[in-house]
Amino acid sequence: MTEDDNLPSLKDFEKRLEATRKRTAPPDPHEGSAGRGISGGLAQAMRVGMEMLAALLVGLALGWFLDEWLGTRPWLMLVCLLFGMTAGILNAYRVSRRLMQDPAAFDHPDEKN
Amino acid sequence: MTVAHAAGSPLEQFKITRLVEMEVGGLDVSFTNSAVWMVVVIVAISVSLLFAMRKGSMVPGRGQSVAELSYEFVANMVRDNVGSAGRAYFPFIFSLFMFILFANILGLIPYAFTVTSHIIVTFAMAITVFLGVTVIGLIKHRMRFFTLFLPKGIPMVIAPFLVIIELFSYLARPITLSLRLFANMMAGHTLLKVFGGFVVALGFLGIGPFVFIIALYGLELMVAFLQAYVFAILTCLYLNDALHLHH
Amino acid sequence: MPQLDFADFAPQIVWLIITFALLYAVLARLVLPRIAEVLEERQDRIADDLEQAESLRKEAQAALEAYEAALNEARSDAHITAQVAHAKLAEEAAAQNEELEAKINAQASEAEARINEMRVQARDEIRKLARTAARQVTARLIGLDPGDAATDAAIDRRLKEGV
Repeated sequence: MTEDDNLPSLKDFEKRLEATRKRTAPPDPHEGSAGRGISGGLAQAMRVGMEMLAALLVGLALGWFLDEWLGTRPWLMLVCLLFGMTAGILNAYRVSRRLMQDPAAFDHPDEKN
Repeated sequence: MTVAHAAGSPLEQFKITRLVEMEVGGLDVSFTNSAVWMVVVIVAISVSLLFAMRKGSMVPGRGQSVAELSYEFVANMVRDNVGSAGRAYFPFIFSLFMFILFANILGLIPYAFTVTSHIIVTFAMAITVFLGVTVIGLIKHRMRFFTLFLPKGIPMVIAPFLVIIELFSYLARPITLSLRLFANMMAGHTLLKVFGGFVVALGFLGIGPFVFIIALYGLELMVAFLQAYVFAILTCLYLNDALHLHH
Repeated sequence: MPQLDFADFAPQIVWLIITFALLYAVLARLVLPRIAEVLEERQDRIADDLEQAESLRKEAQAALEAYEAALNEARSDAHITAQVAHAKLAEEAAAQNEELEAKINAQASEAEARINEMRVQARDEIRKLARTAARQVTARLIGLDPGDAATDAAIDRRLKEGV
């Protein structure tokens, strides 16, 4: 019968139109990006270590400059170093918590919250 | 850089050489090998993008597709992480991403110099982002900007300590940002250099390290992209923090 | 590490600023607006095409629906026609049947009448034969002719007695 020939082609067209619509719609932002698997654990460990090191360096530098300025060597540097270490641990904790929740977070490093 | 300097130290590839000595008002502005590659990077970006978009056809060719893809990649990144408020900063983030990406990738060419393997370059970029973002946040929110350092629902007794710690954590941002890019680039290129040395030293037997070098090149290409991406997306996130203050 | 040579910091920063500013200018002024323009144009074009495709699809859908409705109508029409024809045929058949039956009945009753007639005739014949035979037999036996009337009466009596 002719209707059996017509009906599927129109359905098919509809389907294809819908698919095209979806394809041309703004793309999904959270598509994965390259280099997830290979970067692996070493990169993550490096990242956590870097967080600690960076905050420590900030504490060290800030303390040194404050000591120079106020002539309180070495006390402010020690205090700032302590704060720097704490901040480093805090940052490292935030990063590793994110990494643990979602290993893909390495590709979407998110340091807020 | 892998084969050429096989005899020298793996760190020699990072050496700055002054090609044209210059000085302006006591400031050393010599044109160095690093500057050469910075120029190469921006020329490569501009020329390839302009060339790819020369026709601007409805149905893009391969080059045009890549150019459009890079545009949309960064545009999506900015939109998803900053929202519509980030639109004004899109050209800057796109430039930043492309600059780092091209510097990383062009640095992989043998004999090339990697601009981003110098901490001062990555730090200059990171501190620019950091200061820019902080200034944007201060202009937009004035004193309210400092609530970024005070988590909600914290007892007043430990609040000052937490503010200091959060401040340190905030100040650490440009350091981590620059250190990450610098360390990745330097480590990768040093490794390539070391194994390049093996290939030359072993001569005929160097086929093993040679295969390894090929694999390492693939990995380094990926790292080159990933690091540019990480730098750009962290810039977006910092910008988002400053614009919307939800820490 | 050559990276920590402080004397090299200044030229790198200066040239980074110069090159990056140039890059930013070229990208922001030339390249990005161009790409944005092309993308927008294409997006518009695609949206237009999709819209057109959608309206065409709707048209096709409507045509299909009209076709189906027409088909259904035709089908029900055909059904009714068939029913009418069927009824007419049945009626005709019934009429024919009736006629035939009447004819057969008429023929049957005719035949029956003829049979009856023949029976009566046969009975009369038999009676006549019986009368003649009875008179002759009686005459032969007792030499006396009882006559027609007496014979008939005797025969009737015998018949009534159910011989």
